[in-house]
Amino acid sequence: MNQEKMRVSEEIEAAKPSRGFWSDAWQRYRRRPIGMLALGFVLFLTIVAIFAPAIAGTKPVVCSYKGTLYFPCLGYFNRSWESPIFTKDKFRGTYPKNLKQKDPESWAVWPLVFQDPYRRVRENEWPGRRENPSRDEGHPNRLNLFGTDQYGVDIFAKMVHGTTIALLVGFVSMGLAGSIGVLVGALGGYFGGWVDMITSRLTEIVMCIPTLVLILALIAVVEKPTIWKTMAIIGATGWTGIARLTRAEFLRLRQTEFVMAARATGAGSLRIMFRHILPNALAPVLVPITFGIASAILVEGSLSFLGFGPPPPTASWGSVLNSARSNLQLWWLVVFPGAGIFLTVLAYNLVGEGLQEATDPRLREAKK
Amino acid sequence: MAAPLLEIKDLVTVFHTSDGRLPAVDGVSLSIERGQTLGLVGESGCGKSVTAMSTLRLVSSPGRIESGSIMFTTEGESIDLVTTPEKQLRKVRGGRIGMIFQEPMTSLNPVFTIGNQIAEAVQLHRKVSRSEARSRALEMLHLVRLADPEQRLDAYPHQLSGGMRQRVMIAIALACEPDLIIADEPTTALDVTIQAQILELLDDLRSRLGTAILLITHDLGVVAETCDDVAVMYAGRIVEQASAVELFSRPLHPYTIGLLQARPNVDARDSGPLATIPGMVPPPQDFPSGCRFHPRCSHAREPQCNVEPPSLREVSPGHFVRCHFAEEINS
Repeated sequence: MNQEKMRVSEEIEAAKPSRGFWSDAWQRYRRRPIGMLALGFVLFLTIVAIFAPAIAGTKPVVCSYKGTLYFPCLGYFNRSWESPIFTKDKFRGTYPKNLKQKDPESWAVWPLVFQDPYRRVRENEWPGRRENPSRDEGHPNRLNLFGTDQYGVDIFAKMVHGTTIALLVGFVSMGLAGSIGVLVGALGGYFGGWVDMITSRLTEIVMCIPTLVLILALIAVVEKPTIWKTMAIIGATGWTGIARLTRAEFLRLRQTEFVMAARATGAGSLRIMFRHILPNALAPVLVPITFGIASAILVEGSLSFLGFGPPPPTASWGSVLNSARSNLQLWWLVVFPGAGIFLTVLAYNLVGEGLQEATDPRLREAKK
Repeated sequence: MAAPLLEIKDLVTVFHTSDGRLPAVDGVSLSIERGQTLGLVGESGCGKSVTAMSTLRLVSSPGRIESGSIMFTTEGESIDLVTTPEKQLRKVRGGRIGMIFQEPMTSLNPVFTIGNQIAEAVQLHRKVSRSEARSRALEMLHLVRLADPEQRLDAYPHQLSGGMRQRVMIAIALACEPDLIIADEPTTALDVTIQAQILELLDDLRSRLGTAILLITHDLGVVAETCDDVAVMYAGRIVEQASAVELFSRPLHPYTIGLLQARPNVDARDSGPLATIPGMVPPPQDFPSGCRFHPRCSHAREPQCNVEPPSLREVSPGHFVRCHFAEEINS
């Protein structure tokens, strides 16, 4: 009777469409509302980061000027992407008036919020608008949603553009750390012996280096500190945890029968490592990467707060916090970037936790 | 006469551990002809699986093949699998020699569909496109008679039962039409009815494709049903080798006799408890001196058996025994 039942349930199982490991994990992840909320927030931030120049800026998203279409807002990502014609025609960064004066036929689609992250918006730059307030007058108001800093630069615009930096730091440095960590861990775990000896010691040595101190030291030495160099350093020191987890997974998986079976079908070491073992080891490795993104954002925030972040024109959350250091009475300089960093780090940690729960079979069973 | 398909000579595989040098396989010689089935029988721990692994040089550290040769002859070319470079060996693995493992539950990669895994085996050895490999995979699933092959192609291993997975393993092993299949206890993890189906399938494929099979098992019933020749292994050595018919009708080594007596007999009712061989297979670190079977042998005689290791000798044409008193015992 019992067997009969098992048979039937087995048949039902077999009748279901194929479900892979990841779609299975996704089904489990979806059940946690907090995880979904965090994931939603992360996606929201990503969208904000990608469309930052279209959300806040003083350059048109699209404009028609002298019969040609331009996308001046791309200049926020890279100076050279802004068409040289605007420099030649002496726009000097102020578009609304210049466009009208130099080509009455022109039209433009403007960002949602007409505020610049890098400079104060002056009087009548946008027809009929007053100059951005500065210092104590810069409370959050209708035009400056998050207020302005001591120089009158809009905080909302800074925050929106800072999202790009924050996420870039997270992804680029963890992308780098992930690649190094997986490679080192895979080599050590798969080959064992003296290879493992070398990679494990290397991991331990790097682990001893305090990231923040190393970065501060390097900034003192390096001539032109850029955000990319900061990311590279965070990545180059943050791979140890990933390497150790990857190594452990590879040590476990290389003993499995399916790896032996793969060898018996004639697969080479590289193929076994990256095609057969890695997909099985990916879930536990992905979790520390997610947590790593959060900590990378935090490190960048601390650096900028200490004044060692990207050089001034770059807008980052940490540098807004830094400007609050000398102007503590301007509470909006503390609250908004602080909340931004806090929520982002929290969201990434929650996503990581959800991922862990969705992919770790032991946690999964404990729940049942 | 042409060289046999696979000829193992004096193979010694040792494990270097903290207990010292442990010879798990100690001078094994075997040969398999094209299209034949050779059964390799023995208790757990006697070195059967290590012999199989050694054949494809899959023994992993601390194990190492210390001496001996494994000549593999195919398409008029002979190579020694012990010394051939890794790169060439990879072409043999899966390409010319397929392998089936004991545990179908864990021998398939859980994150890929079975179609994917069969196709990969094909693509490793043949220059075919993705879709050609896929259609070959489907063909293989038909060949191993998996129910519903079109749908199973995209199934993940965990969606299949043990018997189905073993069929998939056979499909992978056969995907490149190898000359030899090494089946390491292919039916041990399956229940009895499925066992019979899998063996029947293997035998059928052998006769249709002309693939030789090295069948490793501890089940004498399996051997009787499927094998042409049988080699019995004990403590890292072959103790008796003969054709299946000969071995079952006229076993000579006391160990073989013991194994045969330890099987349940359907014809004899109320025959009492099953006969057993006392003791256990000794682990390699304390192989006894002389004949390795003598502490468990009822015919053992001092001083010969515990001092002088018997050699494998041919007592009648094609029948080899490693025992000092084989003729006496049998008469």
